Amino acid sequence: MIDNTWTERTAGARLECEVNGRPVSLDVAPSARLLTVLREELGLTGTKRSCEIGRCGACMVMVDGKPINSCLTMAYQVSGSRITTIEGLASEAELHPVQQCFLEEGGYQCGYCTPGMIVSVTAMLEHNPNPTMEEIEEAMSGNLCRCTGYGGILRSIARAIETGGQSNDCR
Amino acid sequence: MLLTRESSGERWRIRPDGPGKVTGELAYLTDMAAPGMLHGMVLRSSYPHARIVAVSTEKAKTMPGVRAVLTCADVPGLNRFGIAHPDHPVFCEDRVRFIGDAIAAVAADTALQAAEALKRIEVEYEPLPIVDDPEAALLEGAPQLHEQGNVQHRNDYRHGDPEAGFAACAHIVEETYATPRQMHTYMETEGGLFIPERNGRLTVYSPTQHAFMDRMQLARILDRPEADIRVVSSPIGGSFGGKDELNVQPYGALLALATGKPVKLHNSRWESVRAGLKRHPMKIRMKTGTDAGGKLLAHRVSIVSDAGPYSTLSAEVLNFSVEHALGPYRFGAAEVKSVCVFTNNGMSGEFRGFGGNQAVFAMEGQLDRLAEKLGMDPWELRRINLRKPDDPGPLGQPISATDGVRQVWEALGESRLWRERERARSANAGRRAEVGAGAKEADATSTGGGPAAVEPPPWIKTGYGAAFVMHGAGLGVGIPDPAGGRLRLAQDGRIEAVFGYEEFGQGLIASLEQMLIEQYGFAADDLRIVIGDSDVVPNSGSSTASRSTSMMWQSLRRLRAPFKGKLRAEAARLLGRPAESVKPLAGGVRDAGTGELLLTYAELASRAEEEIAAETSFFYPTSPVDRVGSHFMYSYSSVAVKAEVNTLTGRVRLLDQFHAVAAGPVVNPQGYLGQIEGGSGMALGFTITEDAVMDRGVYLTRNLDTYLVPTIAELRGACEVLPIEELPEGDEHGPRGIGELGSVGLAPAIAQAIFEAVGKRVAKLPVDPQLLQERVGFG
Repeated sequence: MIDNTWTERTAGARLECEVNGRPVSLDVAPSARLLTVLREELGLTGTKRSCEIGRCGACMVMVDGKPINSCLTMAYQVSGSRITTIEGLASEAELHPVQQCFLEEGGYQCGYCTPGMIVSVTAMLEHNPNPTMEEIEEAMSGNLCRCTGYGGILRSIARAIETGGQSNDCR
Repeated sequence: MLLTRESSGERWRIRPDGPGKVTGELAYLTDMAAPGMLHGMVLRSSYPHARIVAVSTEKAKTMPGVRAVLTCADVPGLNRFGIAHPDHPVFCEDRVRFIGDAIAAVAADTALQAAEALKRIEVEYEPLPIVDDPEAALLEGAPQLHEQGNVQHRNDYRHGDPEAGFAACAHIVEETYATPRQMHTYMETEGGLFIPERNGRLTVYSPTQHAFMDRMQLARILDRPEADIRVVSSPIGGSFGGKDELNVQPYGALLALATGKPVKLHNSRWESVRAGLKRHPMKIRMKTGTDAGGKLLAHRVSIVSDAGPYSTLSAEVLNFSVEHALGPYRFGAAEVKSVCVFTNNGMSGEFRGFGGNQAVFAMEGQLDRLAEKLGMDPWELRRINLRKPDDPGPLGQPISATDGVRQVWEALGESRLWRERERARSANAGRRAEVGAGAKEADATSTGGGPAAVEPPPWIKTGYGAAFVMHGAGLGVGIPDPAGGRLRLAQDGRIEAVFGYEEFGQGLIASLEQMLIEQYGFAADDLRIVIGDSDVVPNSGSSTASRSTSMMWQSLRRLRAPFKGKLRAEAARLLGRPAESVKPLAGGVRDAGTGELLLTYAELASRAEEEIAAETSFFYPTSPVDRVGSHFMYSYSSVAVKAEVNTLTGRVRLLDQFHAVAAGPVVNPQGYLGQIEGGSGMALGFTITEDAVMDRGVYLTRNLDTYLVPTIAELRGACEVLPIEELPEGDEHGPRGIGELGSVGLAPAIAQAIFEAVGKRVAKLPVDPQLLQERVGFG
């Protein structure tokens, strides 16, 4: 009998998961990271590559509702999971309220950190709709922004909290 | 009135590039891909300084998937780049001078194959002695990095007789200031896509701050006409000066032309750290003296700047430092000697603030130290020495006169934060006299609307500080500084605003749209903003030096009469009405009296006899002097901060900040606020945490785990921005530029707040926590 284990390993495994509400089935190398799969296999370039060591948060996505750095996540680790990227937040008709708050308050400049930032804020508010400043610090310290000095981001977060995060007020 | 969304009313607009940014739909140039694209990578030096004995690419060329391996032998044109002084090798020939020097580049089918191929390129080095200290590099016998020696540039300035001045001084302060190797840390690292087109042209999709400069430099390297190269350069995920110089473009262009296939490069963060520009570390010695009343009599400055191995704009940055080491003050006599030195450290270059950050940290530090000697309030000491509106500029040159100095000086004194300081001081004085409840109450009312102050633990000390900034804009005397733009009614009825500027986050597109709406009366839907493509835009000069908003404003002012006149005349002709009776406004040409829409822009475009367009081209205004780099237009700012020192950890926290900015009209309120807040955030990093640490020419800092840019936790405090828009009557220059100003004043203000808090002087940035840690007795 021929042992195919090694061949199978190097050829990669089938990744089955859900990305932005759609089922995904892909052959991926065992060494593939979620960031690479999203950007290069699925063309979801809203998830950004920056430090690749989990420090800057530009690659933040939600896995089963939790914010994670996709640069530190191996693709096989999300097998069977529900993944939401920045592209999955808005509905056909309208932006997610957090996106709308960022848009109106000017919580971005170059915009490169913005997808990860919005994903982190959304995940934070889904678990804790009314965070204290300490909780905001805790939840958002893994997302770096080099342009805004966080002023516009803090105002966007404040607005999102004020409008309930999920309500229509910020639309 | 403080600048906020509320105070801006309808002027606070959603940016046109906003929807694409909050949804992730906007494709940055490093997000692009092309069918059949190859991946490019660059082999960089293993040593900070070495002779290259031999390079062999044979093994690499045979690796799977490898399509090209290039070295200096494969550069058809000039094997050098550098905006002002092209001395940076594209590929090193016989010597490497820093750890980021390029030796070879590879294009392969996958990034993994390219990385593997890099490992198979064999380079034989003969290490040479390292020059990692700019002062040591100037000593006799130091290894020389270039034929010209180790001096990249010198710039001296003198007026009056400083010796006589010092002799007459009652108080003299001498200090040596040192500033860090700050990294731009744009979130998008360098990269792009390079496509050889079927017609033989090359398209470069790669961020830069001046597409035409890149095109010129690439043409020189590739030895082909500029017209054969198209540079698409926006949108950009941050730059701050760091992408002004070429970075990956020469490699992408050479690999694409060598393979005949699209090539993508996108630097890892380590590659970006290793090869990219940083802010010049400077050592600035200052000796400054006053008479008994505080009048500045003499000022002597010596600046040593670390250029790293090659020039880029190091000389220009040094010139800026010289000018800003004199600042907004009148001295009886002043002398500056400065030198920029080649070393085997990392590349230094252009960075927001452009040498002003270092110089102003030192200059303002001198005033704070002198105030202490004089027993005078530091802000009052500034007042008695500040320039008057009609005084010449720092280098004695005529400048555009405004009242900015007085305006921002006064605004600081009237700010909530400075009043809080006054109350805190009198409360402290009161507390010293008698410990009572009244003092506590005064403190509690002074927190600016926040929760009532709780008495902090004894190891937390707070203080207040302030600093003054006078910042030059434009490239200055002696450097070509073109400006201009084009308006055009396109065939589809859109009014196109076509400018050769770049959008790296600052809000340039939004500012352009806002001006066309407010000053021309067009609607957002009438407009199409076209930037960042060398094939279609005019050369409007660089998007640097706080100049582009000023230049767009001036362009639109020049274009208004001719462009609106042409729209009006053609519409009148088509409608058979007198020109005075129609007006081009929102949606189309309207009845001048009733506002009724008579002709949409689409109708006008399709029926017009010839294209309706207007173009302007001019130069950034300069001072009529010979001294290279002298500025003509300045922005002014005062900055106040409240900071806290934890004497157990030595850590400094910024609690509250106020910025008054006198820079002419606010073109775009959201952008203006964002520039000051964002600049200030960057300045906080410069002050307390940021330094790309090198040891004998090797970066110890490789990524964002050890390079600490401020997070939301460091910048959660209040930040008030007060724009002062008033300009002298008849002023024709409009907005002065605020892109850099916010990044300058925070460091000296925090240094003074630290002094007020714990009585210790900070002269070296970032602040070393050890300096501020107190011994604590646990007995």
